[in-house]
Amino acid sequence: MNSQRDARNQAHPSKTNTLSLGIICVLVLVITMQVWLLTAALNESLEGDNAVKWPAFLASTLLFLAGAALLRYLPDPIRHARKSSRHSSSINKL
Amino acid sequence: MTTPLPPRTPAEVDFPIERTEAEHVTRREFAKFLCLVSGGMAVGSGWVAVKDKIFPPFTFEGERFVCKVDDVAVGATHPFQLEGSKIPFILIRLTDGTFRAYEQKCTHLACAVYYSPDKNKIECPCHHGYFDANTGNVLAGPPPRPLPHLEVVIRGGDVYVREPEEKAS
Repeated sequence: MNSQRDARNQAHPSKTNTLSLGIICVLVLVITMQVWLLTAALNESLEGDNAVKWPAFLASTLLFLAGAALLRYLPDPIRHARKSSRHSSSINKL
Repeated sequence: MTTPLPPRTPAEVDFPIERTEAEHVTRREFAKFLCLVSGGMAVGSGWVAVKDKIFPPFTFEGERFVCKVDDVAVGATHPFQLEGSKIPFILIRLTDGTFRAYEQKCTHLACAVYYSPDKNKIECPCHHGYFDANTGNVLAGPPPRPLPHLEVVIRGGDVYVREPEEKAS
């Protein structure tokens, strides 16, 4: 199983980069929509129209939950594993 | 022949994280920060939704006395506040002699507006927003909404204000 995963990683070394970048792009898009929702709800609320603010809040919360769920698919940091092994070897040398 | 590196100090052994690494923001951290901002936006939307329930907007019933008719000359204004509210209002006596009462805060960034009798407009000096003195509607500039107004009632030489009918209903 692990050897298959290693082989896939070697065949496509930049896939975690693509995934990270894709998630960041989606999160930026989510925030853009939330800013628009917040502005629209605030404007309508100040005008005295209360029909928009609750749907806007619901939509904003759903977008946030979707964004938070996306974090689950963030690639694990590789740097830490390498660093800890490097440091343990350097400490052993000392 | 290469010279050996100086030996690590005990502090470097105990805390082997370089400053540049400690200050480096990874994409992973950036994505988490974006998610935090997204949560802030959701909380902000929630605040907009419940704000009126926690802090209900000021309303009043009936009529409130402002001043005598003769206290305000034609083309002049009279600032006033209603009891129980800190919102500043201005009573304007237009050049045709009629009275109007508006909130004195610009709907753009809440600067104090003033009446310009020469132009018969209400002007916001901060960003040059103009409102129609007869209706309170936006004529020019950045304000997004008309000025909130009160209905003016003249009775027996006294000026009273009351909630506009569309708001009261």
